[in-house]
Amino acid sequence: MNINLTRLSNIIIFEIVRLFKTKRGLLALLAFATIWFIILYYFVGSASAIVTSHSFESMAQKLFGALGLSALLEWPVAEYAIYWLVAIYFYPSFAILVCSDQFCSDKHRGTLRFITLRATRAELVLGRYLGQLLIIAILILLTSIATTILASVRDITLLSESILLGSKLSLEILIVVMPFIALMSLLNTFVNSSRLAIVAATLFFALGPLIVAFIEYQFGQKFYLNLLFPGEQISSVLSQSSVIASQYLLPLIQTTVLLITSHLIMKRTSL
Amino acid sequence: MSLIIDVQQVSKRYGDKTALSNVEFSLEKGAPVALIGPNGAGKTTLFSLLCGYIQPSSGSISILGHAPGNSALFGRLSALPQDAQLDPRFTIATQLNFYARLQGMSNKLAKDDTIRVLEMVGLLDAVNSLPSELSHGMRKRATIAQALLGNPEIVMLDEATAGLDPANAREIRTIVAEHASEVNFILSSHDLSELERLCDQVLYLENGLLKQHQTLGNNDSARFITLRMKQNHPEIMPAILQIAGVNQVDITQDREYLLTISNEKAYINIEVDLLTVLAKNNWSYTQLINGKTLENQLF
Repeated sequence: MNINLTRLSNIIIFEIVRLFKTKRGLLALLAFATIWFIILYYFVGSASAIVTSHSFESMAQKLFGALGLSALLEWPVAEYAIYWLVAIYFYPSFAILVCSDQFCSDKHRGTLRFITLRATRAELVLGRYLGQLLIIAILILLTSIATTILASVRDITLLSESILLGSKLSLEILIVVMPFIALMSLLNTFVNSSRLAIVAATLFFALGPLIVAFIEYQFGQKFYLNLLFPGEQISSVLSQSSVIASQYLLPLIQTTVLLITSHLIMKRTSL
Repeated sequence: MSLIIDVQQVSKRYGDKTALSNVEFSLEKGAPVALIGPNGAGKTTLFSLLCGYIQPSSGSISILGHAPGNSALFGRLSALPQDAQLDPRFTIATQLNFYARLQGMSNKLAKDDTIRVLEMVGLLDAVNSLPSELSHGMRKRATIAQALLGNPEIVMLDEATAGLDPANAREIRTIVAEHASEVNFILSSHDLSELERLCDQVLYLENGLLKQHQTLGNNDSARFITLRMKQNHPEIMPAILQIAGVNQVDITQDREYLLTISNEKAYINIEVDLLTVLAKNNWSYTQLINGKTLENQLF
């Protein structure tokens, strides 16, 4: 694999430019801002009031407890309990939509022919991936800061704890999202449009588990094929009760495998 | 002379269709090279192989001593691939600037070079336009500009002037002619007279086979003159044949004659005799070409 850091950083920067300088990128940002305004204002803002109010405490205990999330209630910053619940599902699905066109339309249009005369295919795959990851990281950080502000407005003594918790959760969410973006990178090597990439991702998550279940049923033994699916660990990290390294190792391994596969396919793809 | 491109026994198959079969040639530094052949002959496949867009099924290619697509060729080899388009969401300048920076230029240099190449193709007014706001010809010129960024040693232009108006096509030809001394151009086109004007060497592909690899100009014992007449004159052939030194006259096309001239020193000024015959008979001609046209050489 031939990777030059200057060219790689140029490709990453261009992805950020894509988000802030194109109409499509700005529209995606606007949609994102609107959704998160609603989430923050109506859910994170007011639901924390519910969690903290004594009259609803028992009900919340029951509800959260039933989901196996009672550990979240012990967090000093209640806003982050809701934020975490929403973000851990929101960002992976958002990544599937936003990162659906990493290079498929460029490949289809022939734009990659201009780029591959100036950058290796490995730089292209990795650069585009890291660009998307950086964009998602910025967005996660922004929503996390907003949550910190919301919590601090309610009670200024929560500020330092919010910042700590916010940074930890941002990093954890980012790790959860990583294999999803890598999956979209892999799908981009097959398809010609972002729409098809989204359809392929939907089919992967909808039919994949059925196929895995069928295979395991047929052979009567477990193959651990479910480990192929990004987000496999979400349900276990969600409760935050038993955070162990292996839960974060899986998404990192998935990301590496998916990216290497994308690179190997792209290396042989006709442009 | 140093070898810039060396193609050894290259074949490319798509399923059971063979696009290129055992193509072998090598090119040295020098005047532009023409790549010609009918539709489906494998010209674009050969271009794509040289640029590293596709892999050969067998054989080997070396460009400036490296395999196609090798990072050592970035900035040294550039191309106008057929049908490749710029990203419709970014302005021309943004994209060219990005390409220039990938080639290793600083931000300032990339900006200056973008302006330089856009000026070369006459697109300075369109610097901040989106590709979708431009006409087909202007978009084509923008993609030609991309191939001129930096100081490439080899520039491959696949059908560069197809779809351009005559004035702009001429501009592109001028750019090629002006830079031919420092850049090795490889051009494909269906406009044979254009290639004839620009190129010294010809690679002729047909059905995936390299049929001819030759240097243009006179090489055999006889020399040729191509004469194009304004009107048909039935008695012109015997009249020309009577000129001393003319060995043979063939009709190559309607009102076009190919004269085979003996290469003896005495007939070096045979054109004067030919024009005298034409004037005497009051026959007007449209063109007198020293040698065979590229078309007549190939077909």
